[in-house]
Amino acid sequence: MNEPWGKDGPALAARAVTKTYANGVRAVRGVDLEVPPGEIRAVVGENGAGKSTLMKLFYGLEQPSSGTILIGGRPRTLRGPASAIALGVGMVHQNLMLVPSFTVAQNVVLGVEPGRRGLVDPKAAVETTARLAAEAGLSVDPRARVDEVSVGMRQRAEILKALHRQAKVLILDEPTAVLTPQETEDLFAAVRRLRDGGMTVLFISHKLREVREISDQVSVMRAGSLVGTVATADATERSLASMMVGRDLSLDVDRSPARTAQVTLRVRNLGYEAPVGQSLHGLDFDVAAGEIVGVAGIEGNGQSELAEILAGLRRPTEGTVHVGGTDTAGLDVAGHRRAGIGYVPEDRLHNGAALDESIADNLVVDRHDRPPLARRGILHPNAVRAHAERLIEEYAIRTPDPSVPVRALSGGNMQKVIVARELSAGPRLLIASQVTRGVDVGAMRFMYEQLIAARDAGAAVLLFSADLTELLALSDWLLVLREGRLVGRFDDTTGLTEKRVGLYMLGVEEHDRAHLTTGLGLTGTGTGEASTA
Amino acid sequence: MTTTPMTAIEAEDRRQYRTTRRRDLAVDLSMALATILAALAIGFLVMLATGNDPVRAYEVMLTGPLDRSFRVGRWLEDATTLTLLGLSVAIPFRARQISLGAESQLYAGALAAAAVAIFLPLPAVAAVIVPMVAAAMAGAGMGLVPGSMKARLGANEIVATLMLNAIAVRVYDYLVNGPLKEPGSSAVHSKSIQEDSALTPLSEWFGIPMGRANVGLGLMLVTAVALWLLITRTPLGYRIRMTGSNPDFAAYGGIKVPRVIEWSFVIGGAVAGLAGAHLVQGVYGRLEPGLAGSLAFEGIVVALLARNNPLVVVVAGLFYSYLRAGGDIMEQQTDVGTEIVVVIQAVIVLLVTAQALPDLLKRRIARRQVGVR
Repeated sequence: MNEPWGKDGPALAARAVTKTYANGVRAVRGVDLEVPPGEIRAVVGENGAGKSTLMKLFYGLEQPSSGTILIGGRPRTLRGPASAIALGVGMVHQNLMLVPSFTVAQNVVLGVEPGRRGLVDPKAAVETTARLAAEAGLSVDPRARVDEVSVGMRQRAEILKALHRQAKVLILDEPTAVLTPQETEDLFAAVRRLRDGGMTVLFISHKLREVREISDQVSVMRAGSLVGTVATADATERSLASMMVGRDLSLDVDRSPARTAQVTLRVRNLGYEAPVGQSLHGLDFDVAAGEIVGVAGIEGNGQSELAEILAGLRRPTEGTVHVGGTDTAGLDVAGHRRAGIGYVPEDRLHNGAALDESIADNLVVDRHDRPPLARRGILHPNAVRAHAERLIEEYAIRTPDPSVPVRALSGGNMQKVIVARELSAGPRLLIASQVTRGVDVGAMRFMYEQLIAARDAGAAVLLFSADLTELLALSDWLLVLREGRLVGRFDDTTGLTEKRVGLYMLGVEEHDRAHLTTGLGLTGTGTGEASTA
Repeated sequence: MTTTPMTAIEAEDRRQYRTTRRRDLAVDLSMALATILAALAIGFLVMLATGNDPVRAYEVMLTGPLDRSFRVGRWLEDATTLTLLGLSVAIPFRARQISLGAESQLYAGALAAAAVAIFLPLPAVAAVIVPMVAAAMAGAGMGLVPGSMKARLGANEIVATLMLNAIAVRVYDYLVNGPLKEPGSSAVHSKSIQEDSALTPLSEWFGIPMGRANVGLGLMLVTAVALWLLITRTPLGYRIRMTGSNPDFAAYGGIKVPRVIEWSFVIGGAVAGLAGAHLVQGVYGRLEPGLAGSLAFEGIVVALLARNNPLVVVVAGLFYSYLRAGGDIMEQQTDVGTEIVVVIQAVIVLLVTAQALPDLLKRRIARRQVGVR
């Protein structure tokens, strides 16, 4: 089982690999893939295309239903991650898997600690970590506790952990999703250096621009099958996107200039003392009807808190919030909804849907107690069903029946249910958090169109997203949030680069208060002139 | 042509989906039947192993309750109380509240019904209805206490309801042994209720001896239908379902989750209170010590068997009491004790609560179909 690597042949390969899950879903169909040593291979595909499953097969988390996995040129049977690690396969997961209360060094050596007779030598651990970090060009502070360092450093620690275990193959699952543009650049530099040292890297991503930048070759998956492998130099983002979805698809956002009207959302001196998480301090901004305002920031800098306060799920500790003239700061969630606020929550599985309930029931949570659905205290199931059928049609939700539980839907389709509910309420203010997280390219495009349509219909849209490309493409103007404060405001997104915004996200640069509050009329009663940029 | 990924269900068309649903329902039903048969088979083996005659025992147990009309009455009387208790916990269960408080609510209801029915002279029809309303209100009040503790203060509802049970049972015992004990009687029980307050026995209606079975049976059926309508056809029922399915989603949608939790306890409490009224006004005609026996907890089992669907609770309640009644008769007429019924019930509960079995079967069918396709 633990035979050494063969002299030649691919570092990693799959021969006619098929994986059928117990529920009958065939996630991977007859995939033949070969990755030669010392190559950075990108694997792209929409959600559900099977790339994660394929990686799990390589890492031993799943076993193929048929076909063979080859590591180091030899067929292997992987009973679990332990046997994959023993063969030199390391994986950095999307959700980092480190012990938060341990130091970086302790995490890196975890499981293979230096020292004798069951005693860990902490000094050696730190030295090892520092040496590995220097070799790979991944800067970490070995003595810092993991829960006190940035996401970027945690990710570097994960990579070092794999290196410490003598990985020859490194699988990176959407590594840039949590990084700023600057951190991404550093990561890419390190990955290239590892490749030059002989490491084979599998890079999973759906950001085609990054794939083009980092990889040597790109393998495209669609609906469980490998569509093809092309040299990165010969591929364009557009050609890759077409391969992914199987048809010509433009990802460009078609957006006319905003036609703004009066201010819809007015936030003044908003403060929030968070029991856990990020507190907010002195936020002032306006959002006018008919515009999309993006909120950028590294995740965990107060975006969730701000979105939930505006949606009524949390109470601010100071300051005022007005939506279309209604003071919403003291209202409950129902009051916020009555004031015309729609909210697409960042984690749809947590509170965006009741997964075991039907699509029809999920579509009426905010309107189940009034006509036409309920009259004189009676809820009419037929009305609920008709309502669902109308929205399923209108928002192209793919389902055989409104009675299907939401759990049975794919990510993009589930998100459509939520967006359909929030938009069909005709919100005056739409708060949209991570609308395209975990949805496929087709649904992503649909979400973009819907957001712009809502804007053009006169809604004020506040858009939170971890994807800067998306924010820049959709927003009419942009705010940057860091450590619960507004630190940047860009009144025009044309020509604005991700890198420039990244500097504000990281705290390298900061706008002064006068710029941040221009046109808000903080001394008088002015309206949001600045918002029109 | 689009090839965006779909889940297995998204790919199905409507007709196919309905077929799948019908098939799943068929699997569920046949699994329920198989479960009962498996439980009976295990009971059979246990009896064989302990040197009894299982064929005779089963004959008595399974046909006994229908043997004579008063035995039917005995079964229906038991089923009425048991089903009401099952319904009373099914409602908080739907809101995902583990309420074990049916016992305290039942005793509160019994006390309230008895107090009115013994001491308050009322005209004919009101004499029946007012004690029942009092019982429902007392039970609802008894439910509101743990409900509010959970919803407003974050207390654990399991602990809160169990503690209240302990208190309520002691208070009840004290009252029946002390202030409410019939003066001059050597046995411990209260005075009998006024004649007008009694629920009409079924014997009078059908003209055959039906034991203590009474019109409470009809009341129970009406309650079950009413609760089913509440859950499926009212905004409050919708809120209870959503709160039970995902409280964070309910709160996000503007539902006041604490209030919904309280309502679920109050409604459940009222139904348990009715069960108390049924025992006082229909079965015993007075307060007796240990009125409810172990029924309160068996009500939980019934609710679980029925997956908290009020209409199915009726079926489960009737079935469960049938086993209880059959067991009693079996003990009287053969050497096999009621313990065997407990074994059978336990096996059924284990198999049903271990939902893995039917799910496994459905998945296997689904996989075979994929293979064929």
